[in-house]
Amino acid sequence: MNQFINLMNNWGHTKFKTIFGFNFLFFILTMSSISLAKSPIEGEWMIVLNGKKAQIDNSIIIGAPSDNKAPIMGQFSIKKLNGEWLGHVEGGPVPVKINNNLIEIIIDSRDLAGFSFNRRLTGTFLNSEMTGSFTIEGATELPEPGGDWIATRVTPKKTGLSPAPQDMTGIWTPAPGMDFRKYSMDLTDKAKLWHKDYLDHYDQPNVRCVSPGIVAMVAWGAYPFEILESENKYSFLYEVDSEVRRIFKDSRHPPEYYPTSSMGFSNGRWDGNNLIIDTQLLEGNVRDFRGEPISEEAKMNEIYTLSEDGNSLYGVITLIDPDNYKKPPIRRRKWVRNPDTVIYPYECDPDSFYRQMYNEDKIDMYFDRAQRRQID
Amino acid sequence: MHIYVKKLIITSLIFLAFNSVNAHHSFAVEFTAEKTIAINGVITEIWFRNPHVRYYIDIINEDNKVESWDIRTSSPSLLVRKGWTKKTIQVGDRVSVFGHPGRDNRKLLSVISIKLPDGSSLGKKYPELNELGEK
Repeated sequence: MNQFINLMNNWGHTKFKTIFGFNFLFFILTMSSISLAKSPIEGEWMIVLNGKKAQIDNSIIIGAPSDNKAPIMGQFSIKKLNGEWLGHVEGGPVPVKINNNLIEIIIDSRDLAGFSFNRRLTGTFLNSEMTGSFTIEGATELPEPGGDWIATRVTPKKTGLSPAPQDMTGIWTPAPGMDFRKYSMDLTDKAKLWHKDYLDHYDQPNVRCVSPGIVAMVAWGAYPFEILESENKYSFLYEVDSEVRRIFKDSRHPPEYYPTSSMGFSNGRWDGNNLIIDTQLLEGNVRDFRGEPISEEAKMNEIYTLSEDGNSLYGVITLIDPDNYKKPPIRRRKWVRNPDTVIYPYECDPDSFYRQMYNEDKIDMYFDRAQRRQID
Repeated sequence: MHIYVKKLIITSLIFLAFNSVNAHHSFAVEFTAEKTIAINGVITEIWFRNPHVRYYIDIINEDNKVESWDIRTSSPSLLVRKGWTKKTIQVGDRVSVFGHPGRDNRKLLSVISIKLPDGSSLGKKYPELNELGEK
């Protein structure tokens, strides 16, 4: 704009400068304010799906109390960029159509068995709320009915609260619901390049009895885990892969030369009644069955909150890995307290993997793909 | 030895409602969820280990030849909590198995239900003959 005014000044035509310059300036300012004005829908929303009761009882695998109040939730970000709507759910891209106050969002997800399907959300929005209904498109192992959805604006959380530790010790069984299981994420070019050659099953670590890593494991839907508390740390004992992680209650640094590993190095702190865990020094791995990479520079943030009655535990798990993800992938989990079980042993033998490869004459492929198992 | 294999497609989704082996890797990659088959044969090997419990079973195929199938269920810790232990099925037992076959005609089967020699079922209730389409 200054350049334009200067240009007008340099022309030296006062009348022209006054009349035309003012009008043009007004025009530019008006257009700028229109183009820069934030649409009322832009920003962060929390979508909650209230699907009809489905597969809830069957999903409680290990005899924990049934819970049919586990809606699916996910953070929805929407903004306009270069005239196009850009939407993300839980960090992954979603196509969005908006026409006046009508909105359609298509969210790709996957079920426990690995089938990818879409949830098509249609509805209306006002300044502070969106409401509508959703349908399921595509095959899932456990057919999920559609239902209603609602979205409310995300308000910034208060942080830096005085620690108010809660008793989270005990055995926790995964409960259904909560997690959108968003399928595709916003990968960087580097991650896309790595991921395009990923072979489901053959490149998957846990089929060879190799740990899938805490990022995948923490959101797993089948096995219980136990929380123990001692003076300076929490210990999380996972049944799957018999993994153990220690979460130090202070802000200590890892020892010098502490190696990367499947469980990483974790520090925990209380922010109000939320247990915040930050994990670093993760070994390169994949995020889940889909095989999207996790770099050794990645960090994981977990926020655990206990229900008022102390019988449910909620977790929000965010992976921060800008090397591979343009937006951090988010998972949500709910667990229910389950004093009726213990952590069972988990002995693993990779015979099934190697025998299958041998029988299918693919054993050389395993060695040929060795570099796929090294992720920096 | 009368061992047979029957292939059929079950349209009812009720049989898909058994989340069997999928606790920790992608069922969809290895198995065909939209298809189910039933086989009958004799147990030759038992691997009651993670990442999933396996049984090897010899069947006689439609060409009257012996085929070995790899039968996969869930992980041991999830099965034993339901009373399904290492000793529930023994080598030499004749069983019928109903489940999702492996992709690309691989001789894999993801178990929905197993009918034991005494007629009882493991997993979901074993389908009736008319449900299987057998005569």
